[in-house]
Amino acid sequence: MTFALFVQSAIVGVSLGSIYILMALGLTLMFGMMHIINFAHGAVYMLGAFVIYYIFFQGGAPYFAAFVASMILLGVFGYLVERSIYRPIKGGIEPTLVALLALTTFLQAAGYPVFGQLDKHVPPVFPGTRNILGVGISVERLMIIPVAAALVIALYLFINKTRLGAAMRAIEQDKEAAALQGVNVHVVNGLAFAIGFALAAASGALMAPIFKLDPMMGEQPLLKAFIIIILGGLGSVPGAILGGLMLGLIDSIVATALGAEPAFLLSFVFIIMLLLFRPTGLFGYAS
Amino acid sequence: MKQRAPLAVVALFAVAALVVAGPGRSAAADVIKFGISTPLSGPAAPWGIPHKQATELIFEEINNQGGLEVGGKKYRLEVVAYDHKYVIAEGVATVNRLIAKDGVKYISILGGAVAKANEEAINESGALGLTLAYAEGLVSPKNPLTFQCFPAPPETTTFWKWIKEQHPKIKRVASIAPNDDTGWWSVKVETAFVQKLGYEVVAKEFFERSMTDFNPILLRMLAQKPDAISVMASPAGSVGLIVKQARELGFKGRFVALHQIDSSVVAGIAGRENTEGMWVHGYVQTPLPDKLKSWQQRYTKRFGEWNATSIDFTNPAFAFVAAVRKAQSLEPKKIGEAMRTVEFDNLWGKAHFGGKDYYGVGQQIIYPMPFSEVRDGVATLLLQLTPPHN
Repeated sequence: MTFALFVQSAIVGVSLGSIYILMALGLTLMFGMMHIINFAHGAVYMLGAFVIYYIFFQGGAPYFAAFVASMILLGVFGYLVERSIYRPIKGGIEPTLVALLALTTFLQAAGYPVFGQLDKHVPPVFPGTRNILGVGISVERLMIIPVAAALVIALYLFINKTRLGAAMRAIEQDKEAAALQGVNVHVVNGLAFAIGFALAAASGALMAPIFKLDPMMGEQPLLKAFIIIILGGLGSVPGAILGGLMLGLIDSIVATALGAEPAFLLSFVFIIMLLLFRPTGLFGYAS
Repeated sequence: MKQRAPLAVVALFAVAALVVAGPGRSAAADVIKFGISTPLSGPAAPWGIPHKQATELIFEEINNQGGLEVGGKKYRLEVVAYDHKYVIAEGVATVNRLIAKDGVKYISILGGAVAKANEEAINESGALGLTLAYAEGLVSPKNPLTFQCFPAPPETTTFWKWIKEQHPKIKRVASIAPNDDTGWWSVKVETAFVQKLGYEVVAKEFFERSMTDFNPILLRMLAQKPDAISVMASPAGSVGLIVKQARELGFKGRFVALHQIDSSVVAGIAGRENTEGMWVHGYVQTPLPDKLKSWQQRYTKRFGEWNATSIDFTNPAFAFVAAVRKAQSLEPKKIGEAMRTVEFDNLWGKAHFGGKDYYGVGQQIIYPMPFSEVRDGVATLLLQLTPPHN
């Protein structure tokens, strides 16, 4: 592998990493808040992309209006899922996991009759490529970096600088104590579901013009997001950022040097090694 | 105190179970049950759904004309289809179910890995297998009742001879294919063929079917400076992403897709301009033969959405009906014997089963294979080639 190729693959790795970060954000938020792994994250990502397809591409609305609509619609859906599934189950971790898995299966299976059999596409929103150190990167991929950064900053500010964010942190630390202090746990949980789903939708909405759309399109991002949040530390936003970047770089540099399969294996070897020395991940902590 | 499951969760499970469950059929007199094991959900569903629908449409049209006459008696044709999700274990289970529970004697299987895993079940049960699959050794004397129903790499790669004659500047070829039996065999056959023609194969890459970001492996591939990239055996959606991302990384050469692929799906994802000059097997938009125009209209009317993949997936039904008519028997062995000699019409012209000189057995479908070039985003028919192993 030449130095030029290494640099090119590192650039591709950063672009890949920013996509991964975006995918992992909503997942890590929901785990941090409620200690549940949202198996429906991939399916919501898929729905977020299809909202763009129908509102932007088919409906002719401006892309950013469709993007916001996607986040709002899926955010409301997340709130309804909390009301109709999570809350009646009383927050039980295992039943919630199974229920979210069932929701995913249902949404994916219903996707083919609803959205059609053929892969769908959304035309580029930011056409063209930019040459960075000899490697062509599409503008739409580059746009992910500022959008991911904006979402990370917004999430950070919301969690750390607002009353609702403080309530979320309080629930994360001790649900009963937070309730005794007057925090409405149901409302805040509903909000966490809404934000988690809206972030998954944002991720899908951003990826829609870059990749293809099909009902199973959320499976691979879900797997990557799981790897990232385990790598970064469950529930940690900085962990998701670092984990996403590391995985993006491994996927790109190793795949360029050795091929896709070794890169896939190496990402798991890397995680196992890391977890042996740091079982809580890079930024995680023992509860 | 007993806790009751919330109604919403119970309802969700019930609906999910209904959606994913395979269809059950009741037995009826004077019915020929034709089994289909194909991916009806998951990433390969865009192949499996037209496989089922194409067969259903052909059978419905025959049923509407009174049914299929065998030995002076009219039979209604019925499809019994199960979803294998392109998962080998599911594929084995669905075929076993078709044979043991449904009593089906004629089974069409889609997917190389699934068809290979069912070789023994088909052979032991004496069922007739009509495959839509790329897999090494599938068409061979050890599978006496397995008939391959669309052109496979040993047939379609013959198009490289035309490329060699018409585009002599292309010298370096790279291949990218799915990381499974189908992809491995396709690349193996194509590599051997193009090397014999004097091409230099500079890269061979395999990807998981769920992959969407091809940038890293394309970067590795493009470092070898290929003149053409073959995407043999890759689904249309993946090809769209490969073409789009390779162009973004600066690839200026040709794409070659010598398998059943809908280039309009590729162009939709990759952009019209990026697919310009791409060579495709099995998909033509212009000039569209009348037979295909009619099929497109009937298919769209019946199912609401056109799927060009259905074109080649009509072959198992056409072949089966022709062989039963010739055999005038419902015994799989007799139908198989008729299959080896029957000539029938498919959507591209006259078809028969041959290929004995290559496979050792004449059980590979042979018909004038269409090849197109994408011009202004439209797959334009270049020529039809007879497979080399007639």
